[in-house]
Amino acid sequence: MRTHRSFWMVCVMLALMVSACGGQPTPAASPSESGAGTAAAPAEQKSPAVVRVGWAGSPDTLNPAAALLSESFVIYELAYSALLDLELDGEYSPDLAESWTHSEDGLVWTFKLVPNTKFHDGTPLTAKDVVFSFNFYKDHEDFPYMTGYTTAFESVEAPDDTTVVLTLNEAIPNLFSQIVFLYILPEHIWKDHTEGAAATEFENLELIGSGPFKLKQYAQGEFVHLEANRDFYRTGPKVDEVVFQTFSNLDALVQAIKTGQVDMITEMPNTAVATLRNAENVTVVTGAPLAPDVTDIILNQAGGDNCPTDEGGVCSGHPALADRNVRLALAHATNKQELIDIILLGLGTPGLTLIPDSLGTWYNDKIADYPFDLVKANQILEDAGYKDSNGDGVREMPDGSRDLTFRLNWPSDSTVAPRLAELLGKTWGQIGVKLEMQALDPDALTSICCPAFDYDILIWGWGSDPDPSFLLSVMLTDQIPTGMSETGYSNPEFDDLFIQQSRELDPAKRQEIVWKMQEILHEDVVYIVPFYSKAVQAYRTDRFKGWIVDQPKLALDDVTSLMVVEPVR
Amino acid sequence: MKRLTYLLRRLQWALLSILFVITLNFFLFRVLPGDPARAGIRDPRLTAQAQQAIRERFGLDKPVINCFETLNPLKLGKCGVNPLETQFFIYVGNLLRGELGTSYHTNRPVSSMLGEALLNTVLLVGAAQVFSIVFGIILGLVAAWKSHTAVDFTALTASLVAWSLPTFWLGIVLLFAGSTWLGLPVVGKLTPGMAYPHWGAKAADLGRHLILPTLTFTIVVLGEYMLVMRSTVLDVLSEDYILTAKAKGLSTFQILKDHALRNALLPMVTIVALNLGFTVAGAIQIETVFSWPGLGLAIFDAVGRRDYPMLQGAFLLIAVSVITANLIADLLYSYLDPRIQAGQS
Repeated sequence: MRTHRSFWMVCVMLALMVSACGGQPTPAASPSESGAGTAAAPAEQKSPAVVRVGWAGSPDTLNPAAALLSESFVIYELAYSALLDLELDGEYSPDLAESWTHSEDGLVWTFKLVPNTKFHDGTPLTAKDVVFSFNFYKDHEDFPYMTGYTTAFESVEAPDDTTVVLTLNEAIPNLFSQIVFLYILPEHIWKDHTEGAAATEFENLELIGSGPFKLKQYAQGEFVHLEANRDFYRTGPKVDEVVFQTFSNLDALVQAIKTGQVDMITEMPNTAVATLRNAENVTVVTGAPLAPDVTDIILNQAGGDNCPTDEGGVCSGHPALADRNVRLALAHATNKQELIDIILLGLGTPGLTLIPDSLGTWYNDKIADYPFDLVKANQILEDAGYKDSNGDGVREMPDGSRDLTFRLNWPSDSTVAPRLAELLGKTWGQIGVKLEMQALDPDALTSICCPAFDYDILIWGWGSDPDPSFLLSVMLTDQIPTGMSETGYSNPEFDDLFIQQSRELDPAKRQEIVWKMQEILHEDVVYIVPFYSKAVQAYRTDRFKGWIVDQPKLALDDVTSLMVVEPVR
Repeated sequence: MKRLTYLLRRLQWALLSILFVITLNFFLFRVLPGDPARAGIRDPRLTAQAQQAIRERFGLDKPVINCFETLNPLKLGKCGVNPLETQFFIYVGNLLRGELGTSYHTNRPVSSMLGEALLNTVLLVGAAQVFSIVFGIILGLVAAWKSHTAVDFTALTASLVAWSLPTFWLGIVLLFAGSTWLGLPVVGKLTPGMAYPHWGAKAADLGRHLILPTLTFTIVVLGEYMLVMRSTVLDVLSEDYILTAKAKGLSTFQILKDHALRNALLPMVTIVALNLGFTVAGAIQIETVFSWPGLGLAIFDAVGRRDYPMLQGAFLLIAVSVITANLIADLLYSYLDPRIQAGQS
């Protein structure tokens, strides 16, 4: 009897699946049909125009105060207003603030808000909400980013409903780059979640903001479904809805745009670019990323007085790496173009310092890089006394004490690093340098990195802000004990310039200082930066048009594109 | 009475195993090097105060157990700490209250995240297990009955191939084929943003999303079931009572159903029970390929993000399911074959 019952169950389930399979209103296909349908059918208003975005990530939380991932910030840009917006050309444009003025000394900033704005739930947005939000971000030390963005804030006041007066404790040049991330929260919702852990644990599942899109449905780790906010205070989006769907498999992501299951993808493996370029109705675009991640080859130079022994510093780095000649030789022995061609399949540009080219004016493109020249690299080591006296192919220290054998480690979750390590081993081997390579769990890597300095060379990277200040700060002497400096690099001139740039209010003068700082880092060969990767995205041409691809930075998932795309007629 | 003692003894072992797992689970993640407050978020924008606040929020500033600040034996802490204020006892205390902690990654309670994921996994694994058990048993029976014929050979070869296929590879191949030729969805469990006119449409959408992962899972597990079934049925078929049954003139179907199947099910129950426990986690590859929001994908993500509370919770859940599945298998044995119970006492 038991088997008979099972047979029935199978039959029922099979029937269900077959009917699901054959049943014609196929749900995955119908959106694309409806999209095409909007073109021809008169029943236009019945089927909403839904942009389907495929990406490999998902927001970690809808709570802006607690978020860490860039995917979260992509969603916040759509759902929230900030006083200002960052455009794809690196300029700041008015968002909730219509206009602004500042005092002579740059300490007092007055923002005039757009009048009669509303949150998604219909509640009016006033200057009081701005004051509440800024204070909320400032008052919680355990907010990962927001505290950092509000350190210069002395006080925030709202003299009337549309005026915000922000007083700083010191004049800073990069105020706007921080304000763009300070999303305006509705006080009436958040006031119940301001105490201690409640502020970070609040899930904010309604995501009530005042941005051009509002939340329709959210399933953590699966999708974020947004719809157009028709009460938006500026020209609203042309589409009705946007769905961000999370893919845990990049091949599936590529397959999804090929088969029309999504209309745009924010990333893809470089190996898929050639296939997708040949795919029907798909356009692949590349450009400088909006939020770049820079890959760095990090050379341990910590030792002596700079070793943070109180913080657990071991400083076991190879002594040769403290010698600029060795670092310079390694730079000359790094074939950046080959690395780009092989690892990035050409989708990158040669790197100079930790400030990537996508930072626009802050990036010093006048630096002449050390050319790939093995003869010169060998000569430098030879002249500096690193000779291979025992003929084993590996050079020794000038005093003969040890080989130029370096430990090379990278995080095991990196897809780029293993190939990078292998290629470095090849060219560096030709100048008599040997590498002992090992991938490490990021936890283990953190613990040998810094402030322990228990390594020789690391392949790792930083994510970047639109402003260069945070990135440059990892090279400061006072970041050695905190573990943010992974090199132990210390240069009083650089430290001094850092303070100057953080106070210089004239953009042109500040740019000069920032460029000088990059020159110093390049001159001292603190890092070797192999390349800057490009953003690679793709969209379907038969679904929506108007994607913004001609700006200095590429981000089809940015609010700028999603505001203007419209169904193909 | 005997049955009760047997049951009690089994339960006792199951409970002991779970207690052991709870302890192991806690220390497993503490012996790993590194600091969760820094590893997940290595960023120059994160101030020292913010790091400290995060550590305090997750209780990482407290000693691991009495006398040990961390599990680094070189760093002895103070022994004067109230044992109840150590991470271990707070963890155990929370567990007793049914709290699995807060995810480092999402700041959400681990229990609700695991609950959602478990439901999705049970759906996928359940469907696949039903298919593979049923087809595995049928194929095994047929192959054994027709042993050393072309039917047997084909079924055997197919099962061996299916069993040895790399799961993720099979998943990707089916994903490409299914989406290209059949237009099947390649991601998630429902199409977001769909307006379903009635529940049937929603079920159909779910069904379409289930087809590819279920098929992959079925193919992968089916082979094993078929092979085990075939070999045990072959054993059973050589028994005297089968000959007797044949001599009595019973039909093939009756012999297989009434005489061979039940006796051959014992090893099958073992494997199914073990698999049921493990497949809760074993769906990692399939769930990752098809972005199926189940437990396997949750574990995969949590490992990548070093989300220790989430991992602890997931491991505990898996351990409990494996132990429970084994317990059920043990109890089923005594039902299927009363000799086992007698042997125990």
